[in-house]
Amino acid sequence: MLKDEISKALAPLKLERVEPGDYDKTGYHLEVDAAPEQMPEVAQALKSTGCFLDSLTALDFPEAFHVVYHFSSFRELCRTAVKAKVPKGKAAVTICRVYPGANWYEREVYDLFGLKFTGHPDLRRILLPFDADFHPLRKVFETEKADA
Amino acid sequence: MLERGLEEKTYVLNLGPQHPSTHGVLRVELEMEGEFITKADPDIGYGHRGHEHMAENRNYQQFLPNLGRVDYLHALAYNQCYCMAVEKLLGLKVPERAEFIRVITGEMNRISSHLLWLGAYLLDLGAFTPILYCFDDREHILDLLDRVTGSRLTYCYYRFGGVPQDIDEEFVAGTREFIKRLRTRFRDYDNLVTKNVIFIHRTRDVGIITQEQCLEYGLTGPMVRGSGIPYDIRRSEPYSAYPLFDFEIPIGSKGDILDRYLVRVKEMEQSLRIIEQALNKLPEGPIMAEKVPKRIKPAEGEVYAAVEAARGEFGCYVVSQGEVKPYRIKLRVPSFANLSILPELSVDTLVADLVAILGSIDVVVPEIDR
Repeated sequence: MLKDEISKALAPLKLERVEPGDYDKTGYHLEVDAAPEQMPEVAQALKSTGCFLDSLTALDFPEAFHVVYHFSSFRELCRTAVKAKVPKGKAAVTICRVYPGANWYEREVYDLFGLKFTGHPDLRRILLPFDADFHPLRKVFETEKADA
Repeated sequence: MLERGLEEKTYVLNLGPQHPSTHGVLRVELEMEGEFITKADPDIGYGHRGHEHMAENRNYQQFLPNLGRVDYLHALAYNQCYCMAVEKLLGLKVPERAEFIRVITGEMNRISSHLLWLGAYLLDLGAFTPILYCFDDREHILDLLDRVTGSRLTYCYYRFGGVPQDIDEEFVAGTREFIKRLRTRFRDYDNLVTKNVIFIHRTRDVGIITQEQCLEYGLTGPMVRGSGIPYDIRRSEPYSAYPLFDFEIPIGSKGDILDRYLVRVKEMEQSLRIIEQALNKLPEGPIMAEKVPKRIKPAEGEVYAAVEAARGEFGCYVVSQGEVKPYRIKLRVPSFANLSILPELSVDTLVADLVAILGSIDVVVPEIDR
């Protein structure tokens, strides 16, 4: 089972949480919580088991950004969701040296949320114009606008 | 830019945003050395409408019509994915007849999407005739889908828990007729295109994608199947009524443009097979789940649902905080990942080849921009 293989590959990293997910409810086979600075190692471990990066996004909560990585595999059905909590004002760590495809996803998260990724080779805006001065998916965006 | 260009003997060429072969507003900044590309930098976002932000400002039902406008060519798959995600959150069970209708209409839509790609792509390569044939065939699908969905392009046909309108005898008869017709047309396409020497020379061994690259860039759909990976979500993560049908997953061997072309053409034949089986087995019964709440307010939680769209995996990541509006919806669109490999593929190719490669990725730019 790929699920066990992944759990085994992640075991040496001593992550916060590696648990089987409730597939019928959430669509995940494995749920993982990791510290943001561990992400390159987590990505490397997942890549060694043959997983690809399916999607990368962020959630804006008042106290922190949750960066959500979805992994999947061509070989066998196993969806893994990895979450990294990045406190406000801090930066996440890039995984685009492991997965070049993460380059654009991280640019998108930076563009929409203003969350920076340390070590990213080319952290420019991607969807919005380069001279935009806001990050539209931040939850405080609306209130800022109402104040103005 | 000019000074640097003179120094390094390279110059910058702008492809797009208004270029016929970019199929929408996509700009690619090319750094050229003579005739060869040394660096390509796609510039996306010209059609950014903020769908994900809109999702946070309206309730679950109100966001449904947006899905048909993300990828307008295979709109029904996007409808289906979002419905599946919300149905999972609510714990709704869709009746079997509704699932069959979703499969039939969704596969029809896939064929219409592939037909448009086929015509437009060959137009990119300089063949003018096929697009006339493709649009002729596609017109039949649009008429049939128009009957049941009420629209010809930006469909919004599925609802949480089923479909709002049943298909009738005329639709079933028309679809059977169409299947027969398209099967005879494939022979024409084969003679016109697949056996065409010019076409073969322009596509064979160009834009090769290795299996390693598929994994690194998270490619999906015909892009990975062309490289020989039999990854199709309809098979690997069966949803809706797909497990009930018998179909093959066409794969290529080399991963060049010709392989991706053949995969898409064979996929249309498989879609016809699925539709035919679904029509034969179409069960009677309700088309809407019994207890669909009028006010949709899912409990706190999150869900990821994925479907196989014409371009690859479309995923819907919905996070609910127990409100009437979603907290966040992320649309995982296939073209975004598929296009991100373009800078790597285009190095040391000619501009004419870049056009051929870009077309073979089959991007729908509004889907990338969201």
